[in-house]
Amino acid sequence: MKVRRIDHVGIVVKDLETALATYQRNFGFEAAPGRGGEVTALGIRNAFVSVGDSDLEFIQPVTAEGPAATFARERGEGAFLLSIEVADINAAVEHLRALGSRVGNPVNGVSFVSMRSTHGVNLQLVQRG
Amino acid sequence: MSAGATHIDHIVIASNDSAATAKLFSENFGLEIKRTMSRPGTRAHLEFAKLLEVVIEFAGPGEVKPYDQVTARLGGFVLAVDDIDRAIAEVRAAGFEVGEPHPAVQPGAKIAGVKNGTSGVPFAFIQYNALRLDESPR
Repeated sequence: MKVRRIDHVGIVVKDLETALATYQRNFGFEAAPGRGGEVTALGIRNAFVSVGDSDLEFIQPVTAEGPAATFARERGEGAFLLSIEVADINAAVEHLRALGSRVGNPVNGVSFVSMRSTHGVNLQLVQRG
Repeated sequence: MSAGATHIDHIVIASNDSAATAKLFSENFGLEIKRTMSRPGTRAHLEFAKLLEVVIEFAGPGEVKPYDQVTARLGGFVLAVDDIDRAIAEVRAAGFEVGEPHPAVQPGAKIAGVKNGTSGVPFAFIQYNALRLDESPR
């Protein structure tokens, strides 16, 4: 399994615009234009900012269901997700399943690894390009 | 004005058995552990991997847990800045709390924790080449 880089870190926030404004003011991070929006399937709104070679993803749950909403309910705001870029997502999923890990099927180049297979870390695999 | 962060320097994965979690990420996800450190006099056991510019730090008490009792989570992360004193001043001027900078374990580096204004994410700033090597902890 070829891991390339940290793609992004997901941060669950209560209010997307407030978080973006705070991070812009304090850290100079500008929201990446044209990225993010509402992701109905996940029950979230999101936005991205670039920090060097990686991104921060701000995630606001907009429904009561789903992993981000559960995280927000149980822990409030905080670091939620680690996304790593792999060279070949199908090969990565196959590799992990062969090791006994539970991994979702890739959808649009993204796959989630069960937290049961990561000691509880919410881990996403992504293939770019 | 801003803190002038240039990149994510490192991400902390906190575990109740950091060696086991580092081993899992190494064996399953291909992260190469570059450095291991146990702090004398403490229960801290740290293992470090690196992907391009980002270090992944597995931090925990260095205790061995039965496999099904090992739990980990994303801790916080550290942002690299060119001028830590300016970064601290900017964030304080915006009304948020930042600790005093102190020598980091990385040779020549200073680090300071940001206490709030980060949407619940433990944050710190780090500046490399901020200290003479003889000022760094050994």
